[in-house]
Amino acid sequence: MENKIITRIEHWAKVAPDRVVYDYLGRENTYGELKQYSDALAAKIKSMNLAKDAPVIVYGGQTFEMVATFMGLIKSGHAYIPVDAHSPNERLAIIKKIAEPAVCIAVDELPDLGWDIPVISQKELHEIFTSEITTEPVTIEEAVVGDQNYYILFTSGTTGVPKGVQISYNNLMSFLDWCQGDLGLDFENPIEFVSQPPYSFDISVMYLYSSLLSGGKIDVLPPETTANFKELFKALKSYDIQAWMSTPSFVEICLLSPEFNEETSPELKNIYLCGEELTHKTAARLKERFPNSRIFDIYGPTEATVAVTGLEITDEALNQYDRLPIGWPKPDTPVVIVDEDNNVLPAGEDGELVIMGPSLSKGYINNPEKTAAAFIEIDGKPAYKTGDLAQIDPETGILIYKGRIDFQVKLHGFRIELEDVDHHLDRVSLVEQAITVPRYGADHKVQQLIAYIVPKDQDFASKAELTKAIKAELSEIMMPYMMPNRFVYVESLPLTANGKLDRKTLISEVNSND
Amino acid sequence: MKETVLDILANITGDDEVREDLDMELYESGILDSMATVEMLLELQMQCGIEVPVSDFERTEWDTPNKIIAKVESMG
Repeated sequence: MENKIITRIEHWAKVAPDRVVYDYLGRENTYGELKQYSDALAAKIKSMNLAKDAPVIVYGGQTFEMVATFMGLIKSGHAYIPVDAHSPNERLAIIKKIAEPAVCIAVDELPDLGWDIPVISQKELHEIFTSEITTEPVTIEEAVVGDQNYYILFTSGTTGVPKGVQISYNNLMSFLDWCQGDLGLDFENPIEFVSQPPYSFDISVMYLYSSLLSGGKIDVLPPETTANFKELFKALKSYDIQAWMSTPSFVEICLLSPEFNEETSPELKNIYLCGEELTHKTAARLKERFPNSRIFDIYGPTEATVAVTGLEITDEALNQYDRLPIGWPKPDTPVVIVDEDNNVLPAGEDGELVIMGPSLSKGYINNPEKTAAAFIEIDGKPAYKTGDLAQIDPETGILIYKGRIDFQVKLHGFRIELEDVDHHLDRVSLVEQAITVPRYGADHKVQQLIAYIVPKDQDFASKAELTKAIKAELSEIMMPYMMPNRFVYVESLPLTANGKLDRKTLISEVNSND
Repeated sequence: MKETVLDILANITGDDEVREDLDMELYESGILDSMATVEMLLELQMQCGIEVPVSDFERTEWDTPNKIIAKVESMG
């Protein structure tokens, strides 16, 4: 077996070395450079004689060097663990502890954590990329294939300890086969794909590999650009985007501009939305702007490799459903609905959605306990419990999403465990007790996270000062997207009959005024 | 107009504090983010008939309740 992704990149580097593969706001890199950089890094990694299959942390943003580093690692037989450059030090340290990486590569400047493993600094990496290879080069046989880990992504856990989802080469190929099949991407012609989600978010896998396999180009919208609407629309105009993958939240920002439409983006023919519920309203507005494009809402957990079900947004679908279903599973992926004891339920009944098939992760790295809880067997076959409440429509077989069975929420596409936010709040020196609840907007979507806090005795002049101090401590230990939008100070928190913090009561109080 | 803007802000942020401190910094404090801005602009369009040219949107011109009110009044 041969790694098809690497084979394809080698092919493009040979037949079209000057073709642009990466456009970062006008800074362009070619397939030739991708091959040169990744070959050089792979040879360097090989010369380090790392433990076989040991993963490598890659710390950085959305630059070409990130992608070249991923490819270098895959060529040398090692999985990559992308860690976003905006991550707090504590998260980086805990990922290192759990994943036991052999090396850490600093594409962006790395905080000094007293590393006890080899680190390739930003400067060294640049030298490796641009120097002649003097050690033994790698061969295609050494690249990651089969059941070997390809990438490992860390998601939020419930107790402050993130879980590392291991995705193999086979898992990834199952997803990419679906992209070329039902999802309508044509890898025989170069695809110019917009890159907005960062590499630490698995929906980025779709644009990255669809572009590379088709000999296409990646058009980057980095976070600094998307945060500033003026810059965002300027950048969008500068690209000839053909395919789009983002959260519905990001598309809603773009829809604010009347110029985001078929006339100004005539090449945009394939649009994919993933990561959170797509509302009927957003779907209808998008279809109105791009009546001749194919638009898909796709759904799936990171544990099943990006996405496993899809619904094409057609006028018919918009007329038929008020709340959009999540569609049909990909052909190689059986799904079932189970009850609390994991018994399979008939169509038409509500229960937990369980996914099977070749895109299922082998589990969480170095975490047998959490793996055993979520990865089970149904009729002797590996299956993943999503925690999502769903139903299979008895007439059409379409999957209908009904919410979560636990306290996980999606905020603008980010997966957040409310218990995880509580856990971080509890560690803040000014906090006696705390609980986090979501505030919902229209269409069932979380709009804000609100932290209810019983503060310790303190002498801040105002609540605003106290909030500022709590936020400063939190930002040292928690990802920025998990930061509550509001802090409410109370003398005590509601308890259930069993004496536990009563999140459900607070959730209904917070959401009763709307 | 001022009251409408404050109603919109209070509703989006779920917080009446925006009515009390009209010079409150909205982005730095995390009260508003990109997605809340989307909602604010849509509400201003629906309730006040204001079309904000989003491709010219500069955060620094919209980062307190007072600045937002002034912007809306100048456009209305």
